[in-house]
Amino acid sequence: MPSEPRIPTEPTLEELSAYLDHELDDGTRARVAEHVAGCADCKLRLDGLRQTAYAIRALPMETPPRTFTVPATSRRSVRWAPAGWIGGVAAAMLIIVVGVTHVPFHGPGGAASTGTVRGGLGQGAGSFAQGAPYRQVAPLEGSMHYAPDSALSASSSNSKTVMDQSSSRSLTISTDAASYHASGVVTFHVTTKGLSAEEASSVRIFLMRETGQGGYLVRLAAPSNAPAFPFDYQAAYSIPQMQLPAPVAGNYTLQVTIDTSDHAGLVAWLPLTITP
Amino acid sequence: MDDRDLVGRARRGDPEAFTQLIMQYQVPVYNMALRMVGRPDDAADIAQEAFTRAWEKIRTLRDAPFKSWLFQIAANLCYDHFRRGRRYGEMPDEETNKVIGLGIATPDPQERAEARERNRLVRESIEALDPDMRLAIVLRDVNGMAYEEIAGVLRVPLGTVKSRIARARAQVQEHLQQYPDFFPSTREDARAE
Repeated sequence: MPSEPRIPTEPTLEELSAYLDHELDDGTRARVAEHVAGCADCKLRLDGLRQTAYAIRALPMETPPRTFTVPATSRRSVRWAPAGWIGGVAAAMLIIVVGVTHVPFHGPGGAASTGTVRGGLGQGAGSFAQGAPYRQVAPLEGSMHYAPDSALSASSSNSKTVMDQSSSRSLTISTDAASYHASGVVTFHVTTKGLSAEEASSVRIFLMRETGQGGYLVRLAAPSNAPAFPFDYQAAYSIPQMQLPAPVAGNYTLQVTIDTSDHAGLVAWLPLTITP
Repeated sequence: MDDRDLVGRARRGDPEAFTQLIMQYQVPVYNMALRMVGRPDDAADIAQEAFTRAWEKIRTLRDAPFKSWLFQIAANLCYDHFRRGRRYGEMPDEETNKVIGLGIATPDPQERAEARERNRLVRESIEALDPDMRLAIVLRDVNGMAYEEIAGVLRVPLGTVKSRIARARAQVQEHLQQYPDFFPSTREDARAE
């Protein structure tokens, strides 16, 4: 007498959920897959869990309402810090501020270099020389424009504006696309309103990516002679010249940060995708 | 440069290296805290305090991954938040909030309104979870961590992680099933014609 085909043991809720996450060992995974393939009820349970996970993952990633800093009044002693360096909040805001006029680049054409931090800005900052651990990339030759027409901002579908609490100061970044080929060129436009010359000159632009093993970032060099009012700047950067670690394709974040006199800072992020 | 290099430099007192770690983790840590406590200002306070404590204690970090350690600090601060009697705060409407990671927003006002309502219902369902389950599902489905990484943050066995995530998803699903107009496919009793 022929026996009925045997359906493997019904998976538990934990197994179905872990199955979605590829977190089962091979044997259990095969058993769950085989059972689900032959059991309409379990397939529905699995689909329900999957759609639930998707609904949660669809929640947007929110931009923090302020920048986070290395605490200026840390209880920790910083052995190498020059005297008075760490004494105020302003110093903390200067930690990654690079005097852009001092950043060496490999000439026109935007060759990348591992830059050297030559010093901070402001009173009492002193100077320190350390290798900046991020690659710095100059804009493509001839791509920089000050006070450009607002065509890019107006036409861009990938744009973000952030304002301070009083809405008196704002920072807008726009890119010409949300997705770029790995051999492509990213063009973006940065505009600020209501900032002092010192505030505007603190602009820092990074392309960042988080990976499972941490993250990495590339600094996109800002103009060295930006006009004070308004800061309105457009430039193009070659993706190959950024020498991003492989695999280059993936999701990135363009971050623009500006220090403000009240230390709240303005920071704007834009998601970018690089395709193979 | 990966975390190990930056952590090594930060352990030697290099604030610039630590600032880069902040830049890498500020969005995921803030969003974890936000989904745990609900109110943006509270979440930002927790994220800043997590970075402050991490900076102060980084010399004690040996072989543990920085990411898990940092999230562990932030998670403990979220628990402290509730221990102090603070409640889950209402999230402002996302339309007025700064949002990243959505790519190109839909231009259709009705679609935008529906997306906002869907997000509100999902946030409500997460809020209804107890903090242990909420943290597990946030680390998995908001932060995209692997189970082993979550076990490192929560300092519990893998089986506990698996169980908390599964039970959290089941509870969220049960909540969302009350709104079939927004979440038709989460219904277990939905049958193909």
